[in-house]
Amino acid sequence: MTVLEQLSSGTMYLICGVIVAFVAMVCVIFMVRAWRAGKALGMDTTRMKQAVTASVTFSILPSVGILLGVIALSGSLGIPWPWLRLSVIGALHYETQVAQAAAEQLGGTLRGESMTAGAFSTIAFLMSVCIMWGMIFTTLFGKKYLARLSRGNENKAGSDKPSFGDKAMTAMFIGMVSAYLGSYIGAYISGAGAFALKGDWTPLLVALVSALSMACFTALSEKKSMRWLDSFSIAASMLLGMAAAVIAHL
Amino acid sequence: MKQNKAQTPYEDYLRATHRLGRAVSMITLALLLGAPFVMGGYLGAMPNLAAAARGFLAVGLVWTVSSVVEFLVYTPMLGAGGSYLAFITGNLINMKIPCAMNARDMVGAKSGTAENEIISTLSIAASSLVTILVLALGVLLLTPLRPVLGSPALQPAFANVVPALFGAMAYKYYRKDVKLALVPLIIMAVLFTLAPSLTGSTSFMIIPSGALAIGLSYLKFRREAKA
Repeated sequence: MTVLEQLSSGTMYLICGVIVAFVAMVCVIFMVRAWRAGKALGMDTTRMKQAVTASVTFSILPSVGILLGVIALSGSLGIPWPWLRLSVIGALHYETQVAQAAAEQLGGTLRGESMTAGAFSTIAFLMSVCIMWGMIFTTLFGKKYLARLSRGNENKAGSDKPSFGDKAMTAMFIGMVSAYLGSYIGAYISGAGAFALKGDWTPLLVALVSALSMACFTALSEKKSMRWLDSFSIAASMLLGMAAAVIAHL
Repeated sequence: MKQNKAQTPYEDYLRATHRLGRAVSMITLALLLGAPFVMGGYLGAMPNLAAAARGFLAVGLVWTVSSVVEFLVYTPMLGAGGSYLAFITGNLINMKIPCAMNARDMVGAKSGTAENEIISTLSIAASSLVTILVLALGVLLLTPLRPVLGSPALQPAFANVVPALFGAMAYKYYRKDVKLALVPLIIMAVLFTLAPSLTGSTSFMIIPSGALAIGLSYLKFRREAKA
């Protein structure tokens, strides 16, 4: 049995499957608790259902993208470990980078044919260590941090003035989106030499088609009879944007 | 003597959420750190801790700083339940955060409210379960799916999932305040044009871009409050 075959053996599936199943169970528990608490607080169940439906449709396409990450990593790390990493805690852009860095520290590369059992277990350990901090910070400081923010909100609530919190969230999101769109513009203009205008234009085209599609879906969903469209507008816009990338490269 | 304050049902829910969140985070952490050793035992080769330490110094420190920023920025957006779940299940920027913001906006929940807490938790839990299900099905069908998903014609589509997501989100958020959006967009476009190597650090550029947008939004808020 080669190392790659061992990495995709039943035992490896069992080890990883147990953890994936545990996290799935945690998600179900949190969901049921939140649903019950929402009902107890008198929240409209239709709105809660709408939030769940929108989140489900929203997540399908990015999840298929993440599946491609599993396929990409399976050539060097077998299937079960990338499956676990990208189902739980991992991030698509992070996993390959860290796995590659660990392989380099062991004097090798992230290639299936050069993978050894020792290299694999070290890579797997480093992948876990590098990304655990968000979970640790939330565990140690999450409660205090949220309590502090909540006190700030309560103080403002008493003053009868509109809160800045929501505007800050929207602004943070605008900043986040701008950083990504700015990177696509910069990559196109100077990606293949300063101001050469010969860089990769596909991300820019995809973002543009996706934004235009979103504009159309938003306009349609604002009509009373087509309000249902709102739950699917982002997923459908993404699909059209991604289709534009395929057509542009035919 | 310690006095027991009267708790509302929502406060009880929050307290229990923190307790549960901390417990499951620690269990998940133990499972993830323990798994390489269990697998190492099965494969007959334990992790090389010295090499892992060198690797951590090479890439891990950057991710640690990034985790601090993610914790500070995203926790207020997600609330208690959403934060624990999101940090356990990962894929924050490319999926969980936009997903929760979308659900929150759809329902019209305000940040810091009980409604926001519930909706974020429902949204992140639903999103995580979809990923777990899609990946489990994908892994089951990996052999028949590999030629389809791996076909060269479809590669541009899957290489551009993030631009597709941010394009759609851009329309959704830019229309709320076009003037505010233009400033960080132009500044970021100029920065990335002058220093294209920054593209590899886009997730870090969110910090100055977000800070700029929040600063401008605050100035506008103050101006409107005085008017």
